[in-house]
Amino acid sequence: MVKLSGHSNWPEWIYVGVVIALMCWVGAEAWEAERLVEHVPADVEIIKVVGQQWFWTFEHEDGTKEIGELHVEAGKAYKFEIHSTDVIHSFNIHDYVVLMDAVPGRVNTVWFAPDQPGTHDIQCREYCGLIHYNMRGTLIVEEPTH
Amino acid sequence: MKSIIGLFLVLAVLVIVPAVDLAFAAGDEPGEYLDRRVIIWNLFFRMMTIAFVVGAVVSGTIIWQVWRFRESHPKAKPTPYEGTDW
Repeated sequence: MVKLSGHSNWPEWIYVGVVIALMCWVGAEAWEAERLVEHVPADVEIIKVVGQQWFWTFEHEDGTKEIGELHVEAGKAYKFEIHSTDVIHSFNIHDYVVLMDAVPGRVNTVWFAPDQPGTHDIQCREYCGLIHYNMRGTLIVEEPTH
Repeated sequence: MKSIIGLFLVLAVLVIVPAVDLAFAAGDEPGEYLDRRVIIWNLFFRMMTIAFVVGAVVSGTIIWQVWRFRESHPKAKPTPYEGTDW
């Protein structure tokens, strides 16, 4: 190659290499986290979540329905199948880093496994109209039954 | 020569990206119980660390380059006010 600059440019190639290596590392880390988080355990329990202006409803596998409150057990894994009947909402349990849009005509899924009993907030995270701010719910994690 | 390197770069990316995807993607086999808070926040903090390190290195290099250029300028001489002992 012809050197136009008339000086050595090997530091630039080291610089380029370091940047490429960093980007590969970042990509691999993100990929790995995504793979772990999206890998659903076999014995997961499915909960149907429906968002509508301006409240959340939940339906358990056994047909139990709840409005504004969700009761789950610690130590079990749950997969949310998130629906919307009107506009786009976003289902968020902040304390457990659960966040997934509820889009009309689509079913989005996200799973989590609460580890300790407690009470946590559920909140809509996509502006969905007048009472969006109060489209809340409560996640109640109970002691395991067995 | 340059076009061959370019071609191989494109081909490498075309091969590497699907290979990495295949290696890391979630398969059909069941996953493990895990705490997504730990995974996601760890990723966040690691990304922040990388972002700040890259930001520091890039801005540091630019500052160093600019400083070197400025100092190499023939007119970049101390003023009488600053002293002429150089």
